[in-house]
Amino acid sequence: MRGFGAEPAPPGAGGLVRLYHVSKAYQAGSWALRDVSLELSKGDLAFVTGPSGAGKSTLMRLVFAAERPSEGQILVLGSNLGRLGVSGIARLRRRIGVVFQDFKLLHGRTVEDNVGVALEVMGVPGRERNARVFAMLKRVGLSHRRHQHPLSLSGGEQQRLALARALVNDPEVLLADEPTGNLDPDLTLEIMDLIASAATRGTAVFVATHDHALVEHYGRRRLRLEGGRLIEDLRVGGR
Amino acid sequence: MSARAHVARAAGRALSGLAASPVTTGVATFTLALCLLLGGAFALLLVNMERVLAHFGQEVRVSAYLSDALTPEAHEQLAAAARQLPGVESVALVSKQAALERFRASPFGRASLLDGLDDNPLPASLEIVLAPAQRSRAGVDALVQRLGKRVGIDELGYGHEWVEGYARAVAGVRGIALALGAVLALATLLIVSNTIRLSVYARRDEIEILALVGAGRAFVATPFLLEGLLQGAAGGALALAALALGFHAATASYASGLALLLGSAQPVFFDVTQALGLVALGAALGGLGSAFAVLRART
Repeated sequence: MRGFGAEPAPPGAGGLVRLYHVSKAYQAGSWALRDVSLELSKGDLAFVTGPSGAGKSTLMRLVFAAERPSEGQILVLGSNLGRLGVSGIARLRRRIGVVFQDFKLLHGRTVEDNVGVALEVMGVPGRERNARVFAMLKRVGLSHRRHQHPLSLSGGEQQRLALARALVNDPEVLLADEPTGNLDPDLTLEIMDLIASAATRGTAVFVATHDHALVEHYGRRRLRLEGGRLIEDLRVGGR
Repeated sequence: MSARAHVARAAGRALSGLAASPVTTGVATFTLALCLLLGGAFALLLVNMERVLAHFGQEVRVSAYLSDALTPEAHEQLAAAARQLPGVESVALVSKQAALERFRASPFGRASLLDGLDDNPLPASLEIVLAPAQRSRAGVDALVQRLGKRVGIDELGYGHEWVEGYARAVAGVRGIALALGAVLALATLLIVSNTIRLSVYARRDEIEILALVGAGRAFVATPFLLEGLLQGAAGGALALAALALGFHAATASYASGLALLLGSAQPVFFDVTQALGLVALGAALGGLGSAFAVLRART
């Protein structure tokens, strides 16, 4: 692991996520992301930082194929996203965990159903699904709330629920957009410990955040975006 | 997961979805029921109009007056031969005696006219009813041509004007039914698909989230398809119940008016197959509407 000031990590072979000269414009001439190239390997824990509007969320959305790039190529888990159809994207997403800034929970379903849906779409049989859901809810401290609905949970619990859904299928890539946005310091560390442990188990993790203290504390790699451009890609020290 | 387990889970999700949004479910089901009630009422009208037309069609007939020189056995033979002719639905042999009794009983008959006569002057006759496809002027002409060649038939009676009027009525009623039916079907499809699209739109977040966690098309669409089928079938059953109530109320209240309008043809309700067809149509409309709406929502 390198400290602050190490050289940028160059794109190479073996990455789980690779971006080659990727640009994204939502309107002609207005670039949300401009000529970004990077690679994320197994076990990487990369923090994407930058001011609001820098392109952090766009970068995340491009990696899980919610958007298509205006220019460039994106390879995720060996698949070129530009060549994937609807079914291919669905299959790829089953190998990616995403924690959304607004959680995106199914409010009409129970806590355990919200987590179980990620396994259900993969075709995991009922008994195994229930066992894995229970184990994951226990890890995030929500097993006692499994029969309740998301709206009866606090903000922090909803965030943990979103993380449980993202992690329950042992994803190869985890994307977390401001996963500790509105949490108190204790809960922030709790959530981040879970995310960091996923990276330790080999998951390639992207975390978009404004929180520099988190980067200092956990950061192994820092990607800084400004005006849609990647202006810094550093391997840094951390826990 | 096996296909059966997949369908069972989808059915469970469909029922949860229906229960989770009772107002949307109720509005969609009621709208479907209303559309099917209109369509069903129109279909019921058509079924009864076809019966009335078929009843009047029985009047498109040719009367063949038989020679008095023939024996009753020869009359029977002529009747049997007429039954074998193409385009003939039925043949009734009216004997001389039966013709006399019918004349006396007729409101136009004057029994006194026949009192001075020793013999019955009325001839025996064959009353030939044409098959439905032959109930036109051409059909009558073809039959008359064939009968005219038979020995023992003195005279043929038929009314061209009645035949032509009947054919025009049938064509007119069917044309109007086709046009109205097409307009009604189109309106029903539009209303149903828009109503279901609204109920799917109300759950677009769920569709989006399922897609984001990697759900395939079938996984997302199947519960909505099942919901649509259930809502459609429920709407069809409601429409059927309302139609049955309305039909029985109308036939009880307007019995004399209907008798005047329909003659001896009794108004009928749908038979079991037709009733089930209305429910199945509702299910199909609901299912198709849901499938299209959810696929549009995903794209």
